[in-house]
Amino acid sequence: MADSVVTVDGLRKRYGDVQALDGVTFDVQRGEIFGLVGPNGAGKSTTLRIISTLLGADDGTVTVCGADVEDHPNEARGALRYVPEEAGAYENFTGRQYLDFIASFYADDTGPMVDRGVEVANLGDRIDSKTSEYSKGMTRKLLLAAGVMTEPQLAILDEPTSGLDVRNARQIRDVVKDFPGADRSVILSSHNMLEVEYLCDRVGLLDEGRIVDVGTPAELLDSYGTENLEDAFLEATA
Amino acid sequence: MRTFTRLVWKEMRELLRPQYILPLLFVPIVFIALGQGFGGLDEAASEPPEVGIVNEDDDRYGDLVEATFNESGEVVYRSEGGNHERALNETVDQGGTALIVIPENFTERIESGQAPGQVQLYTVVDAVSLTDIASTGQVENVLQTAETQITVNATGASPQQLDPVETSYTTDVKGTRIDQSPGTLSGAFTSQFIFIPVIIMLVIIFSGQMVINSMGMEKENKTLETLLTMPVKRRTIVAAKLVGSAAIGLLAAGIMTVALREYQSGITGGEGSSLPDVFALGIADYAIVGVAIFFAVVGALALALVLGIFAGDRQGAQLLLFPLSILAIAPAFATMFADFSTLSLPFKALLFAIPFTHPVIAPKQLMFGDPMLVYLGIAYEAVFAVAAIGLAVYVFNSDRVITGNAGRLGRWLSKLQR
Repeated sequence: MADSVVTVDGLRKRYGDVQALDGVTFDVQRGEIFGLVGPNGAGKSTTLRIISTLLGADDGTVTVCGADVEDHPNEARGALRYVPEEAGAYENFTGRQYLDFIASFYADDTGPMVDRGVEVANLGDRIDSKTSEYSKGMTRKLLLAAGVMTEPQLAILDEPTSGLDVRNARQIRDVVKDFPGADRSVILSSHNMLEVEYLCDRVGLLDEGRIVDVGTPAELLDSYGTENLEDAFLEATA
Repeated sequence: MRTFTRLVWKEMRELLRPQYILPLLFVPIVFIALGQGFGGLDEAASEPPEVGIVNEDDDRYGDLVEATFNESGEVVYRSEGGNHERALNETVDQGGTALIVIPENFTERIESGQAPGQVQLYTVVDAVSLTDIASTGQVENVLQTAETQITVNATGASPQQLDPVETSYTTDVKGTRIDQSPGTLSGAFTSQFIFIPVIIMLVIIFSGQMVINSMGMEKENKTLETLLTMPVKRRTIVAAKLVGSAAIGLLAAGIMTVALREYQSGITGGEGSSLPDVFALGIADYAIVGVAIFFAVVGALALALVLGIFAGDRQGAQLLLFPLSILAIAPAFATMFADFSTLSLPFKALLFAIPFTHPVIAPKQLMFGDPMLVYLGIAYEAVFAVAAIGLAVYVFNSDRVITGNAGRLGRWLSKLQR
């Protein structure tokens, strides 16, 4: 556990009559891509939002790089970058201005960070267009670039390729795949089992607010005797 | 500090988009255009009329009418008889808008004292507009002057005898005696007591609209979640939203104030309605009114921010502005038509509880040397503003800023939005 960048222990969250999370427990190791998979309403986004300090938990603890998100939220925020599902950018900003705005929270000299963001976004001349003129794929690439250009210790990506065409989705996956390093980890959620199998070092299967199993894709396939992660998930939640 | 200024800059930049700024500019432009229109009306009415005269009388009173038009107007056509239709056409061709026909027995009828001398006035209105009709009215004013001249000549009376009674006015206004008529004072007070509340109302509504729009945009574009995970304290984000929105709101209100002043100036012919010196506000009074406005705007912005948190998008944000607008409009209208001190106790309590009442009533209270209510109001406003900011920070630190769940209030607001 000493090498964990994220520890989630006994996380519970209720919205009115709905128990969204019911004792979620897992950890994310340094340098790995950890995938959270599950159907709609399983609690993926709620889990990621609690880790990102956006929501508070009813019970349980979450630490990011050793900082308890409840007690030291700003310390945790300094270590993570969160890219929400279907998020947009400020429409009166150009792509470059948006990157500069985000970078200004992390560095006094934003130049090198923005250059890295421009390179990751790979939008060509359109980086200087207003973000209101961007397609969904361009916006997603910009937000992902803004997420990784600061080289956070933890990048949290909620459904990073949801609704994108093949080409854009592939580019996003390449960026995510290349991101982890000795001090950089990723936690992502996805419906796409093939994507998770391709990207993730370890996977947590989430169903009805509970983690039903955790392991590498190979371990999960072996454990349930299936040929793909989708079947493994169905077996695990049967 | 750098983070704060970047956040303020971001707020202002997002709010300075054409879809928000153009409507704010459109209304002042309409007011300025109306003011110019009314100003043009006065100008048209004060221009010397261009007329034609057919003087068939050839006697002293006919000559007097003609001389009056020579002095106060511009006679573009003149004859001593002939076809009136042709005379009218000639006058119009020379740029005139009216023809005065003085018949041959004009002087004789006046001197007989049995019947009034008759004048036939032909007026040409080619364009039906306020300006064109106002300019033709000036001909009648010159005829009125001629009529007075004839009366002085015919009766031998002096101008004083024609206007033999002069009233000297003294009006007691809440214990202060002023040597002006109630009508004159009423005009001056009405001008002040309508203008000031309307401006304060606009400041509150525009500023509130800006901050609610800001939250609506964040929700609609789904940028709020990204913003809230930046390594910056939530209260810094709240402060930046309040300052950025206030700057644009005050700018909009400033433009609107100038436009209203132009409009009012156009209506009053630029003279304004000055109050007697005894009621004039000093620098200290203006400073007190400024403090009252400041706390009202801060309270309004914080309240709007809390409301904006529960807006799903920009459309929802606009609807949520409604309760804030009511709170801003109610005291402005109530104090326009009634004096706060004369209201019944329940109404007084109700108005006092609305924080936006206090900057509205402050000028009047200070004008009449009754500042205690103003000081109490400012204290109340300050408490309200601090509480509203505290509520905004609290909500920003809670799940509600993400979920938009407002509990019972949310259910009520959802009904309002529907």
